[in-house]
Amino acid sequence: MDVNTLFLWLLILPFAGAMVTYLVGRVAVINKVKDNPARWLAFFVFLGVDYIFILLAQQFLSSGPIDLTVGTVALQFDGISLVLGGSALLLGTLSSLFSVDYIAGDTGEEKFYAMIIAMMGAVVGLSCANDLFNLWVWFETMAITSYMLVAFYSTQPGALEAGVKYLVQSATGSILVMIGIAFVFLVTGETNLDILQKTTAPASILLAAGALFIIGFGVKAALVPMHTWLPDAHSQAPSGVSALLSGIVIEAGLVAMMKALGALAHVSLSWGVILLLFGAVNMTYGNLMALRQNQVKRLLAFSSLSHVGYMLIGFGVAIQFSILNGAAGGFFHLLTHTMMKGLAFLAAGAMLYALYISKQKHGPLMLEDLNGASRKYPMAALGLSVAVLGLGGLPPLAGFMSKWQIFVAGFETQNTWVILLVVYAALNSVLSLGYYAPMVNRMYRLEPSATVSEGKELGFVIQIPLVILTSAIVAIGLWPSAVSFITTPAAAALLKAFGG
Amino acid sequence: MSLSMTTLSIIGVLGLIGIGLYALLAAQHMIKVIIALQILAKGAILAFVAAGQANGHVSLGQSMALTIVVADTIVAVVGLSLAVQARRYIGSMNIRSLSNLKR
Amino acid sequence: MASTLLLLTIGIPWAGAVIIWLIGDEYQKLLHGIAVAFSVAAGVAALMLIPYATGTPIISVDTGPVFGVFTFAPDGLGVFLAAVATVIGSLAVIFSVDYMKGEDQIARYYAFVLFFIGSMAGLVMTTNLLLVFVFWEITALCSYALISFHNDDPKAVAGGMKALIITQFGGVGLLLGALLIHSYLGSYELNDLLARWNDIPAGVLSVAAFGFLAAAAAKSAQFPFQTWLPDAMEAPTPISALIHAATMVNAGVYLLARFYPAFCNVPGWKTAVVIVGVFSALLAAIMAVVATDLKRVLAYSTVSQLGYMVYAVGTGGIFASQFHLFSHSVFKALLFLGAGAVIHAAGTRDMREMGGLGKKMPVVRNVFILGSLALAGLPIMNGFWSKELVLESGLAGGPMWAYIAMLIGAGITAFYTFRCVYLVFYGEPRKELHVHDAGPFMKTALIPLAALSLVTWLAAGPFSLLLKNTLPYHELEAVSTMFVVEEVLKAPATWIAMVVIALGLIAWWQRDKLTGLGKSLKGLGDIAADSFGFEAINRGVVAGVQSTAESLRATQTGVLNWNVASILIGLIVVMVILVMGA
Repeated sequence: MDVNTLFLWLLILPFAGAMVTYLVGRVAVINKVKDNPARWLAFFVFLGVDYIFILLAQQFLSSGPIDLTVGTVALQFDGISLVLGGSALLLGTLSSLFSVDYIAGDTGEEKFYAMIIAMMGAVVGLSCANDLFNLWVWFETMAITSYMLVAFYSTQPGALEAGVKYLVQSATGSILVMIGIAFVFLVTGETNLDILQKTTAPASILLAAGALFIIGFGVKAALVPMHTWLPDAHSQAPSGVSALLSGIVIEAGLVAMMKALGALAHVSLSWGVILLLFGAVNMTYGNLMALRQNQVKRLLAFSSLSHVGYMLIGFGVAIQFSILNGAAGGFFHLLTHTMMKGLAFLAAGAMLYALYISKQKHGPLMLEDLNGASRKYPMAALGLSVAVLGLGGLPPLAGFMSKWQIFVAGFETQNTWVILLVVYAALNSVLSLGYYAPMVNRMYRLEPSATVSEGKELGFVIQIPLVILTSAIVAIGLWPSAVSFITTPAAAALLKAFGG
Repeated sequence: MSLSMTTLSIIGVLGLIGIGLYALLAAQHMIKVIIALQILAKGAILAFVAAGQANGHVSLGQSMALTIVVADTIVAVVGLSLAVQARRYIGSMNIRSLSNLKR
Repeated sequence: MASTLLLLTIGIPWAGAVIIWLIGDEYQKLLHGIAVAFSVAAGVAALMLIPYATGTPIISVDTGPVFGVFTFAPDGLGVFLAAVATVIGSLAVIFSVDYMKGEDQIARYYAFVLFFIGSMAGLVMTTNLLLVFVFWEITALCSYALISFHNDDPKAVAGGMKALIITQFGGVGLLLGALLIHSYLGSYELNDLLARWNDIPAGVLSVAAFGFLAAAAAKSAQFPFQTWLPDAMEAPTPISALIHAATMVNAGVYLLARFYPAFCNVPGWKTAVVIVGVFSALLAAIMAVVATDLKRVLAYSTVSQLGYMVYAVGTGGIFASQFHLFSHSVFKALLFLGAGAVIHAAGTRDMREMGGLGKKMPVVRNVFILGSLALAGLPIMNGFWSKELVLESGLAGGPMWAYIAMLIGAGITAFYTFRCVYLVFYGEPRKELHVHDAGPFMKTALIPLAALSLVTWLAAGPFSLLLKNTLPYHELEAVSTMFVVEEVLKAPATWIAMVVIALGLIAWWQRDKLTGLGKSLKGLGDIAADSFGFEAINRGVVAGVQSTAESLRATQTGVLNWNVASILIGLIVVMVILVMGA
């Protein structure tokens, strides 16, 4: 199969697969089949997409970016697609495997499986989009699927409330982006990113477009103060979806922002500064908010804010000072955050499942519920511990190494302000241990909480993703340059967009 | 003196967006919120059509506007279905009663 | 061969940790056996590595420009500290067989102990600044995990958190220094820094130097970060002996000594090091005098003795500081393990409830007294020789006021040491305690340590030769043991110190007559008990952060209109910044 066909399949298969999964699942529901085959079908669709993705990635690594033009729409498989698409498919595959037990038997499970495939397909498309408007289309597809997934428990007040808030805020951001695109289109008559990067039309209206992109995509990327939907949505969604939202969707918003800003690189010299400012605010706000939470998933959701902050610092340094390590560090942190936050939500979800969901209860997983969990759920407890300690930046875990690369980039600027910002970021990591470490302590207590002693056993399948992610986090922590073959091309692609 | 097409469109776009944003800030009823989103989206659609008109890429502008119509209809449908569910399971469509998730 | 041994020194304990974690808690006897076997094997590997000591890296793995070349070199400092970590580590593990018998979650305990031993060996033998930081943080992680080993006890959790946060806070200084050096030299290699520190602008080098000092002070529980170590005493006692006396807390001193050639020319740095050392030594000694918890006395004395080492580095006495570090590791591990045996038997850590235990546990009493003699600096224990060397180097290379302060510190050390011995082992029993002498595994650990604290000073000659041959940038001289002996015995400083120590002893003997003085100093004692106000600062910072965080939660209103409003506010702010910037 030639490369272009393969590329087209990469974009089509998730959606075709989603439809088939839905239909099969629906038929099974109507016929009251006991074990819905859609559960496993979704997983196999993911494996199929993964396979195509790997073939394309090999092609990319050996002979450079792959272009595809469908009508007037330009798509390109480059380093950014490799990082974001790869992360999305990795976590999507694991999350679908995780959800086999988690969602089994819930009303509307067939929609769930179809939606997560479609959502990850949209992220892959977004990562390949090389056209401003097309970027928005993928972005909106991703957003719409995620609304439905957040409100999956559509009889639960919490999920409904989170869904409504998420929908309204995300749609507002999306419309701001649209208006920004309209501005760009008005001035240049173009939406192709490659061409836009070359046009040098200095116009104040493009400055406004840039601001709209930052804010519009910033809603999805959870920049403070546009983050308010995030803690609600991430904590109320089914855990497999929380993992994808926190591990992929907000990063996709960030990448979309980078792509869109790349088209406007020449308009302002302060894009990087704005990202650095948002980075500083995000880190502190996320950490302080997480410090006083008592629900596990809400705590993890707030910690995502601070991690977006680290990525922003990496990207900001890269854009402002043309430092490759900044972008590489940002993408590295994106990848490790996908793994760590994905693992954290899946592990917390596994316990939520064992303690509540499997008993048809819908309560939040409280911190007290974790007390003594390690004896009954050793793998989930270990996974959650590794994930949060990695998020807190303790070596030898992946999160430390990606933060380190961002810090290295900050120091490479030899600019006092940036260095102070990096030190501030490091102090924020210390602060974050203030809520991660006690969480770990709880799980290794001797005296189990009442909920834990009444909890059900965890199945085998649900623990496979936990084992895979835990090992990956430790492995990358021990051998950080193992993924630099992915992050370096992505960084090069980003710097190219910003004329570096 | 006659208003040019462009000026008219700009006024239209800004007006729609202004109304939409104001409504989003002020509306308490969920249906009203979704209508506000719709007004906002209409502003964006008009912006694309007008931009295409202004820079000569008429068909490109219109095709993008059509795509947005599709997308924002889906958003409205999902939003309305959530509103229905909220009415059914929360018992209210006032967004003030949907503010239990906080802090 | 050397590289294999080096990898084994780090790898054996780590492999043991993984195996023990996988086995789980069900097979207690097996776990004890495996832990002892792996730690002893690591100790043997480290000892076998000593003859291969060299200053050039024998393992180097290139991982690209961002993470540098992962290098390991078993130079004098490294191989010696690795040997200390693994040997004392294995003794602590052997001790634990008795001490931890029947405890729950023993797998977690041993896994972290072994993980720590390997990481400590890695920390001292790597020559890559990134790896130094990595191992630095891993040891902090292990320390935290083991302090809060008894997770159900809120005090243990709080102590662990405090240790973690404070050492991490100081660790930011190390991160700052390492990254600054990397950004100017393009390399993480320690020897590159020691050779080319002149290429770094003076201001930048001085930031790095003080960053390292902050990291070292936090790790070694030095002024003004001393508050975490006493609270770390919630850890099981073998952990206190291993991590909080013999090895991890030495990492700060190690760091200062290691980078001394690069930083000694930074204006004010040596003075700052001396000040940190003197303040820690004196303040902690005073706190030890008023403490009533046996382990806290030892903890304060650790801070105080580490102050002596830091002081020695600040006055240029690299060999003296490392030699005292060596002695201190041995006798303080001995004291802690002895205290562990007492606490295990008595079931309390409060010295006011002990007394007269000497008759019931003679072996423990004897070894504890040997350790105390070393701590007080009485001949011919190892602590005597090394402390005299420290004081002599201070007299030669440091300011006079610091020397006098350290002399007074030596007197106070003698005073609190004997107070502690007396309260625990002599006098009338103050409470009915059913105690028994140490178990066989405990004795297996205690007796070698007691023997070592009598004889390690004999290794002064070979040790100084080892350092001189493998540390080309430190400009050390090789001295023979005989030379050290003569030097110490001839120097008037020694006799002055002996007089001061004797004064300390007399003060204890005549304590009844000094009650007037004691009462007048009561205020000082109260301040000392609260760590001279630093505890209050710690509490204030924590409370401030927590209340800020709590009040910030109001910003998450949960009302949709406000959420949309915040999006618009964000838009306006960004627009303003852009307009101003463009």
